[in-house]
Amino acid sequence: MRSSTILATEGLSRRFPRVTALDRLTVTVGPGVTGLVGANGAGKSTLIKILLGLLEPSAGTAQVLGMDIATQAPEIRRAVGYMPEHDCLPPDVSATEFVVHMAQMSGLPRTAARERAADTLRHVGLHEERYRSIGGYSTGMKQRVKLAQALVHDPRLVFLDEPTNGLDPQGRDEMLALIRRIGAEFGISVLVTSHLLGELERVCDHVIVVDGGRLLRSSSISEFTEATQTVTVEVEEGETVLAARLRELGESVVPHGRLLAVQVRGDETYDAVRDAVCDLDLSLIRLEQGRRRIEDVFRDSAAEPRRADDDMATTGRGPA
Amino acid sequence: MSTGVIHDIGYRRYEGARLGRRHAFTALVVHSLRGAFGLGRTARSKIVPFLLVIVMLLPAVVAIAVMALAQQRSIGYSNYVTLMQPVVMIFLAAQSPYLVAPDLRFRVLPLYLSRPVTVPDYVGAKVVAMIAAVLLLIATPITVTFVGELLVNMPGPPRTGEYLGALATSVIYAVLLAALSLAIASFTPRRGLGVASVIAFYLLASGVSTVLAGVFASLTDRATAGWMLLINPFFLVDAVQVWLFGSEPAAPFPYPGGAGGPVALLGVLGWVALGLLALAARYRKAASA
Repeated sequence: MRSSTILATEGLSRRFPRVTALDRLTVTVGPGVTGLVGANGAGKSTLIKILLGLLEPSAGTAQVLGMDIATQAPEIRRAVGYMPEHDCLPPDVSATEFVVHMAQMSGLPRTAARERAADTLRHVGLHEERYRSIGGYSTGMKQRVKLAQALVHDPRLVFLDEPTNGLDPQGRDEMLALIRRIGAEFGISVLVTSHLLGELERVCDHVIVVDGGRLLRSSSISEFTEATQTVTVEVEEGETVLAARLRELGESVVPHGRLLAVQVRGDETYDAVRDAVCDLDLSLIRLEQGRRRIEDVFRDSAAEPRRADDDMATTGRGPA
Repeated sequence: MSTGVIHDIGYRRYEGARLGRRHAFTALVVHSLRGAFGLGRTARSKIVPFLLVIVMLLPAVVAIAVMALAQQRSIGYSNYVTLMQPVVMIFLAAQSPYLVAPDLRFRVLPLYLSRPVTVPDYVGAKVVAMIAAVLLLIATPITVTFVGELLVNMPGPPRTGEYLGALATSVIYAVLLAALSLAIASFTPRRGLGVASVIAFYLLASGVSTVLAGVFASLTDRATAGWMLLINPFFLVDAVQVWLFGSEPAAPFPYPGGAGGPVALLGVLGWVALGLLALAARYRKAASA
């Protein structure tokens, strides 16, 4: 149980004429940085738009910062910030002018808007270039301006929709560090979406996995990475046979290429691995404590229906 | 803090005032109005609006000079706008797309709508800004001329009545032209296409009106010719002015008498309503995209 709730949805659905973007989603988000993970088209952006009151849900209810989306949308929009996934910057104004204008649109008086814009642009790492027209900016700089306009009015919660999209590895690292700072240092709760699971692991306190508009899993990062202990087994050859034998012994095994991740039920798991390797006369190369990464959770849920038919696919980073 | 050292003071919360929607509305009106004259934009975007403002002022300067030197009244107040309608058309075509197109094209609209600003707030602010821009463009030269007339101290009483009528009519012009131009411009996110659409609309309206009026006049059907004039939005407003303030008609033929005045006023209201409805429909669609 979380001490306070930042947002909560109850049976939230959104059906478009040809596709169901959200399907009875019930989820709770607490303070800190929360990752919303799912493949493209999983319903992440739809959820954010509904929470902002830009889109009406077909069914269900939701509260943001304790306010109901159906009746208090203006109050919600005053207290949150939104960084869209798509480009949203006019090219012929400077970052400073644009962010000042957006601060005023959030209700800040002009002088306060100027001060906050300068502060916020500094925090996101835009310095002298903020006086130049946005049209000449790199993707990384544009993402920073988009982030700045979402933070300029000092919201209590920000929705960041795919903030690392289109960034090179270094820009991605910097953006993730910035997101971590927003949650930890600025004290602003963050809901950040990504279709890349690995990157959220580094900055989130809590991760929600959605697929096809439905909730797959919602838990804290520590639950993701600690509660599900695994042991990684590497043998010279014959990992297929080994996996089959271990499953016979009642262990759950997930193949990762030539490696097998075996879920640890207790000491008996280690014995089972040892005995199986001996019985099959295989050469054991490695037996290592593995921490499951959140990718594995997603892989599990995606692979689950197919597990029976000896599916050794290792590329399953989630359903497309 | 005279040491000149920059301290990173870290993130500071904002504890100051958070004003309501009205503040955002006013700020958006001011921002858009400035933008309509190229203020706060690149130097290049100031050229066209300022050139047009200067051209609009030229007849006023000439009129004052004629009054000062020859003690004669040349240009009237009531027909100033119809006389300058090509310049006004260019201003509408060149500047109205700027107010609406970039936010659609560069998808800035969601940033407004994720704030306390609503769709009616946004559209309303744009319309008010455009009305103010057109009003500044056409009322300034009329007022300059009137101030000139007062300063020159012409023989006879000053034409205060005609001036005030023209000023009131300027408001009608501004509302009609702003609603129509913005509605047309909002239908394309591309500014170039918006410019072409707006100018095409006014040229077509005035062209069709002139041709039809000319045809009926040559058939000696001057009553129908008068009605045809009202196809041109500029003459439509002028017909209202003639009816309300008894000014001299600016068109080549007399406007229809009798029901003509009220019908022209209804026509103005109809066009404005149509423009606003089109804008509302356009932005309802854009907001949910």
